[in-house]
Amino acid sequence: MDMMQKLTILADSAKYDAACTSSGGDRAGGVGLGSTLAPGCCHTFSADGRCVSLLKVLMTNDCIYDCKYCVNRRSSEVPRTTFTPEELAELTIQFYRRNYIEGLFLSSGVLQTPDYTMERMIEVLELLRYRHNFWGYIHAKTIPGSSPELVHRLGLLADRLSVNIELPSEDSLKQLAPSKTRQAILKPMGLIAGGLQQNKQELALYRNTPKFAVAGQATQMIIGATPETDFHIIRLAQGLYNRYELKRVFYSAYIPVVEDTLLPSVDTKPPLLREHRLYQADFLMRQYHFNADEILSEETPNFNPYLDPKCNWAIHNMHRFPVDVNRASQAELLRVPGVGPKSAQRIVAARRTGRLGMAELKRIGVVLKRAQYFIITADNPTGPKVGKETTIRALIDPKVYAAGVEQLSLFGPQGPGGLALPQAQDVKNATEAAEEAVLCMASNL
Amino acid sequence: MHGKQPLAQPANVVFLYDGSFEGFLCCVYHTVYSRQIPLAIYTPENTQPTLFEERSITTDSAQAQKVRASIPAKISPAALEMVETVFLSCLAEKELALLKFLLLGYQQGSKILHMLGHPDVAPVLKAEQHLQGERHLLLGFVRFSDYGGVLAATITPKNFILPFLASHFTARFSQEDFLIYDKTHKAALIYQNGQTRLAPLEEIEFPDVSETETEYRKLWKQFYHTIAIEARYNPKCRITHIPKRYWQNMTELAELL
Ligand code: SF4
Repeated sequence: MDMMQKLTILADSAKYDAACTSSGGDRAGGVGLGSTLAPGCCHTFSADGRCVSLLKVLMTNDCIYDCKYCVNRRSSEVPRTTFTPEELAELTIQFYRRNYIEGLFLSSGVLQTPDYTMERMIEVLELLRYRHNFWGYIHAKTIPGSSPELVHRLGLLADRLSVNIELPSEDSLKQLAPSKTRQAILKPMGLIAGGLQQNKQELALYRNTPKFAVAGQATQMIIGATPETDFHIIRLAQGLYNRYELKRVFYSAYIPVVEDTLLPSVDTKPPLLREHRLYQADFLMRQYHFNADEILSEETPNFNPYLDPKCNWAIHNMHRFPVDVNRASQAELLRVPGVGPKSAQRIVAARRTGRLGMAELKRIGVVLKRAQYFIITADNPTGPKVGKETTIRALIDPKVYAAGVEQLSLFGPQGPGGLALPQAQDVKNATEAAEEAVLCMASNL
Repeated sequence: MHGKQPLAQPANVVFLYDGSFEGFLCCVYHTVYSRQIPLAIYTPENTQPTLFEERSITTDSAQAQKVRASIPAKISPAALEMVETVFLSCLAEKELALLKFLLLGYQQGSKILHMLGHPDVAPVLKAEQHLQGERHLLLGFVRFSDYGGVLAATITPKNFILPFLASHFTARFSQEDFLIYDKTHKAALIYQNGQTRLAPLEEIEFPDVSETETEYRKLWKQFYHTIAIEARYNPKCRITHIPKRYWQNMTELAELL
């Protein structure tokens, strides 16, 4: 098989993996080829609008396992191929020199045994690092069930390691990926977290300690193939962030690739709006110091499709508003819809030079369309005076209109506070659905 | 505003200067000493007929040096860096914007960089962010071709970011020889035998591409098209992340134009 065919097959079977960031490393470069950038770097965007940063391929799409949701499962009839370590190393180098990519994202089906597969992956990375003297970004995915020693070796070669949690619960795993247990997934995660910890101490003691996965570890799970609630998922993510020093959790809207009675039918649309809400909630937990319990609860276990999680939190916590932009703490400012981490920082810096009114806030970059209903400014010392409906209407996420009724109907029938929100089938279009949702939410606040 | 006398007053006059940074500093010098803020500052390439008095500002190194030294002394070193950077940006009427920024700075001192909401400060900071943003995009969007071991790329940015790309690419490709040609600003960044230089370059002609080069371009394009997920097809989202004006220089996108 020629290189073109191999690349096509092995990129195609890797494309459902959500992670493609190259962030977290910061290696200056100088000797050899390559460097890494702490904020990461997108080299292009594919037709689906996703950032392409790394050469994301499988080493092989052969697999001894039979996970139901996966295109590469043993029982699937697809052409199989495997990169030789030399081929893959050379391809990475040549793409990198042309500035097509920031590095390599290597994952793999399971060839013969998990350990055998890991050894081949290690070979690729060793070729890159030691023969080609390549110091660009490498993200490697550990193979479930491989030995701790190999995980450690992989970690010394890669910038980031990940172990996919695959599905959000043990039950779902049992049903759809019987060869993987929660235990088998969490164990390497624990090992990596341990490796990271130990490495930190060693680095403090000995300057020449080889660095272990400098950009930390990440994981991903598939959303929408199984029945877990959003609350369950974000609590799981929060737990993972806390326990395993994870840098990122990725969520991947399930795209049906196979017909199976245990899975959503093949014509199901991927739940993209829901995936988007999960990323927003995840961002609130990582950057805005939100706790999962503030975002959702047992009573309201699913996201409000019409409002982003921060706006949703705000309208349910109106007693905390308005806040005075000229006095409030940075943490309080961060909770205002329309104020992000950057503008919160800028407000705090700018108000030292004089009191801020609406015009100044606008120049600073605050999204007044949303923020105006939650703030007191120099030129409006009494704060906003409008009804709940106006406020909610201004907060409706424009993505709702773009997503259309199809996406809205993918959310559970339950709205905020267990209320029944208008469902797609009851209305003609997303605009109408949104307007009904406004009235419904306002009357129940 | 803060009880201080303004350094100069708006006047019905237009400045003409040679377009150099030194020349711009002389416009500042002239403003402060004539106590007149011009309506506009034009270069020979970028001039518009006006009914107002036009005054040619000659570039004088001693004057320029005086103004340059006054910025870190009276405002802050960061303000000088800001002015130097934004001078390379594509901000419309950047000279006038920078002049107003400096006049305010001479009054307010180092805190000017925190006056984020001020009408004379916000546009300058925004232009700087725009330039830095474009620089960051191009770190990824630059596409090299291998011409017999030398890597070469063409870019067409709005801001003159070539000086800001140098450190990144020389560190990353320290063992290579490369050239980045900025077609908009007619200049090239050249890295050869470990030496970097920035040179004006009117035009450039690239040699024919080799078979190997063609092969890697094909592989890359194939990879690019393969990784897009059909069920998530979203061309609008792609355009917001990678505006069309960058496509012409990118291997995988040029032919989609
Ligand atoms: S182990 Fe990985 S590649 Fe193999 S079937 Fe399961 S998910 Fe697919």
